[in-house]
Amino acid sequence: AGTGGAGTAFVPGQPVTAVVQRIEIHKLRQGDNLILGFSIGGGIDQDPTQNPFSEDKTDKGIYVTRVTQGGPAEVAGLQIGDKIMQVNGWDMTMVTHDQARKRLTKRNEEVVRLLVTRQSLQKAVQQSMMS
Amino acid sequence: MPAELKQMKDLACTSDSHVHEQSPSNQTSIAMMQEPQEMVEETVTVEEDPGTPTSHVSIVTSEDGTTRRTETKVTKMVKTVTTRTVRQVPLGPDGLPAMDGSSPMGSYTDSIDRRYLKNGERFITPQASSTLTRSYNSYNESYPESHEGQYRPYIGHDGYGDLSDSYGSLSRGVGYRPRYAYVPGGTYRPDDGSFTLPSRRENYGPVAQPQVPVGSSVDLNRSQPERFQPEPYGLEDDNRSLGVDDEGYELDPDYSTVNRRTSAGVPERGRPHKGRGYDDPIETEMVEERIPYLHGGYAAPLAQPERGSMASIDRLGKRSPSIDSIRKDPRWRDPDLPEVIAMLSHPIDPVKSNAAAYLQHLCYENDKIKKDVRHLKGIPILVGLLDHPKPEVHRKACGALRNISYGKDNENKVAIKNCDGIPALIRLLRKTNDMEVRELITGTLWNLSSYEPLKMVIINHGLQTLTNEVIIPHSGWESEPNEDSKPRDAEWTTVFKNTSGCLRNVSSDGAEARRRLRECDGLVDALLHALQSAVGKKDTDNKSVENCVCIMRNLSYHVHKEVPGADKYQELDAGQTTGTGGSQKKKKDDAGCFGGKKAKGKKNGDLDRNFDTLDLPKRSEAAKGFELLYQPDVVRLYLSILTESQNFNTLEAAAGALQNLSAGNWTWSTYIRATVRKERGLPVLVELLQSDSDKVVRAVSIALRNLSMDRRNKDLIGSYAMGELVRNLPSRQQRSAKNLEEDTVVAVLNTIHEIITDSSENARSLIQTQGIQKLVAISKSSQSPRETKAASHILQMIWSYKELRNALQKDGWNKSHFQSVSAAPKGSKGTAGRSGYDDSTLPLVDKSQDNEKSGSRDMIPMDELGPDGYSTIDHRDKERKYKTIDNIGDASEKEPLKNDTNRKNINRSNRASVNLVDARDIKPQPVDSWV
Repeated sequence: AGTGGAGTAFVPGQPVTAVVQRIEIHKLRQGDNLILGFSIGGGIDQDPTQNPFSEDKTDKGIYVTRVTQGGPAEVAGLQIGDKIMQVNGWDMTMVTHDQARKRLTKRNEEVVRLLVTRQSLQKAVQQSMMS
Repeated sequence: MPAELKQMKDLACTSDSHVHEQSPSNQTSIAMMQEPQEMVEETVTVEEDPGTPTSHVSIVTSEDGTTRRTETKVTKMVKTVTTRTVRQVPLGPDGLPAMDGSSPMGSYTDSIDRRYLKNGERFITPQASSTLTRSYNSYNESYPESHEGQYRPYIGHDGYGDLSDSYGSLSRGVGYRPRYAYVPGGTYRPDDGSFTLPSRRENYGPVAQPQVPVGSSVDLNRSQPERFQPEPYGLEDDNRSLGVDDEGYELDPDYSTVNRRTSAGVPERGRPHKGRGYDDPIETEMVEERIPYLHGGYAAPLAQPERGSMASIDRLGKRSPSIDSIRKDPRWRDPDLPEVIAMLSHPIDPVKSNAAAYLQHLCYENDKIKKDVRHLKGIPILVGLLDHPKPEVHRKACGALRNISYGKDNENKVAIKNCDGIPALIRLLRKTNDMEVRELITGTLWNLSSYEPLKMVIINHGLQTLTNEVIIPHSGWESEPNEDSKPRDAEWTTVFKNTSGCLRNVSSDGAEARRRLRECDGLVDALLHALQSAVGKKDTDNKSVENCVCIMRNLSYHVHKEVPGADKYQELDAGQTTGTGGSQKKKKDDAGCFGGKKAKGKKNGDLDRNFDTLDLPKRSEAAKGFELLYQPDVVRLYLSILTESQNFNTLEAAAGALQNLSAGNWTWSTYIRATVRKERGLPVLVELLQSDSDKVVRAVSIALRNLSMDRRNKDLIGSYAMGELVRNLPSRQQRSAKNLEEDTVVAVLNTIHEIITDSSENARSLIQTQGIQKLVAISKSSQSPRETKAASHILQMIWSYKELRNALQKDGWNKSHFQSVSAAPKGSKGTAGRSGYDDSTLPLVDKSQDNEKSGSRDMIPMDELGPDGYSTIDHRDKERKYKTIDNIGDASEKEPLKNDTNRKNINRSNRASVNLVDARDIKPQPVDSWV
């Protein structure tokens, strides 16, 4: 793959690789709501330069911005700064913020399975490959 | 479209048994080490969805005709269907990537529906699409079975509509290189000279059989990617030629919509057509496509698009790079605009819908083509199609209208209105349950609502329908709640967003518009319910909330004068003060709200103080409808929004609503002012004085000014807000820490003036916050006459407090600092002439003149306002001006701004701990949602 040029960090349609982790979060019932216990930022309708977590400031992906202590997401191993690649099989790399939020907050889904990628994960893999 | 895609999505959902997964994204940095783990074969089909381009203009206008325009950036969405096969290769013994050891071996297919934002050329390329292709695709499916080519079976083919639907649009998307040119039908005569274009022949390549499984009984309901064997993303390479056609193209002078139509049904193949041939692949396809028609006695215009030339489209204006690149493929040709418009009237419905969809695509971000469509009389045809019974047709027509209605060219909007497009849209809204169509309708109406003269038309035709069909159901409000069911939350659907945006625009069309909206059954109730739901879910940053708050703010404007029975609640003698001041130009408009609190001193204070022990007026029944606008209950709602929201527009509107509600001189305003205090709203507002947004500071500042009509509020604001107010003033070194706009500085100055009026204590706190230095600097050296004048008023006021003079002189000030300025403002009266307040340039003010001042005080800062006096109804011009200034200031003020942001973050610990923001007004607010 290789890095894309400035402006277009990746070529649509071209495979891009990432090491991903699968995280399964069981929602917690809180009053009427089912909560996951984290917050997201980003999305294709958001200004990617304001995302403190992305390495590539053109990345309009969905990122985990906060994780409630002791909440379902933390228990499941989600970390601040994780980039969410998929939610229950749905792509999250090319969605608006609101689409991502909706996808995560389906009332009829008690469990969400995330595919996330995080820099530490990738670095670990990278190091192992080099050694 | 959505229906078909859903199927695939469900597919995708079931295939989450994998662990490692590649996903197209910009995670390129680690690409190298991926190889050993997985092999990826990926095929991606990108289709443009012409329905998705969203373009909205929200404009809110004040009564005086100045308007503010907020233009939501147009984003074009492209739907992508990805079929990806990932074969996972066992990991090495170090097994590092096995974060979750259960990674299944084998392969799976994952289909993902994805939306791509238009983001540069590569994104766009797949958009190029042609009506022809799409029909072609469809035909392809049915062709093997109905080779005999009856027209009827073709059109009646079950699932046809779905089929073309599922291609999203005109996608001549990826997989559709015409691989099977001459295949078929007996009617085609390759030797027909008029269809030969030798120069292209070499491009044509071998004639291949369709790769689509011919003869197999095709299940039309299958999801597409399997069906059409897409080539990997080949569109960039699509090298349809461009220039060549130009010479061969001659615009037939008779070529018009009418002409086209009359010729429908007559095979035109014999017509001499210079330089065009059937070896142009697109035409080849057309031939195939035509076969069934011909057999069935049909010669469709669709089958004759070769008549025109893409050259004509070239001439229509600058094309996007994507179209260029598509065009490079010599085997394709797009129909030209007259052809497309002619196709709108084609007897075959899919042709109509394809033509409309293609038109939408062409119009996207292309003002020239929009105009041409208008001139070619395409708009009435599209409007006519809104009443078409087939969803596919009215949907696409509506999509085209949405793009056409977007943009600065109001002529297009007028054209839609002139052929009764607005009632047609409303009619369709009542009829359809298709969410996508509803989005398109309301999006179009939103666009239309940005043009002043159409606002009342929309109100007349659509207000109650929009309220009943969209606002009420999506707000979750129920007029007669079922006791068993819980109150429903609002759903922030696109339809709701569009509709609220539309109503936001029309709500600024003056007193009559406000009256209509206030009296519209259920509207205010539903908006309030939606906002309460937003606050409850801490979801106050989105556009729908912004729209709702703006509507509420606009409807709150002048409630004290405009709602039925308002006179029953008027307090004091309104006329009293109008007699005192000689320079109150605003009298004619606002006499009613002038007098009100003239007795700013004890009387007013007493009255407000009493309120703390007073109950609100007794009601026999719960407030409903417009009464809800000014019930003190709304204060808590607005304060919650002011606390929670990070959307500057929403913050401004919520502060503006409080400003409007606290401005009046009727009983309800008195209650509102006291309620803000009792709900601990003053600290909330004062904190917002630190906002990075100019307009938020301004609205909050004005609201504080109005609130200080309440004596206790004034004392509190004087003690606690003076520092923040002064901090917003420009200092000697720089215009201000935030580079605030003149309007805002003047608003802050006027608020300070109000606060120190009749309160030497507050004047003392002004001195203690080092405000004098800034004020003197402004009055002496500001470039702005309005600022100079406002500052000098304050200085005069301060000097009038004899008890403070000692302190002042101790600080090194003398009378000249407080007096000298009075001459200058007089000279600049012209600039500030719109406000009586400004014109009352008096020598040192003394208390006897307070009355006059007080008369003007419930008018929100006159300086700010147009002739109509106060309101926070948006001013488009100001917004623009602000943006300009802000941009200019961007470079030089960067540091201070950053500091400001930090300060704000520290102070507002209740805000997102992760702040993605370098918050500038112009940028969209980064949103952060709890899930």
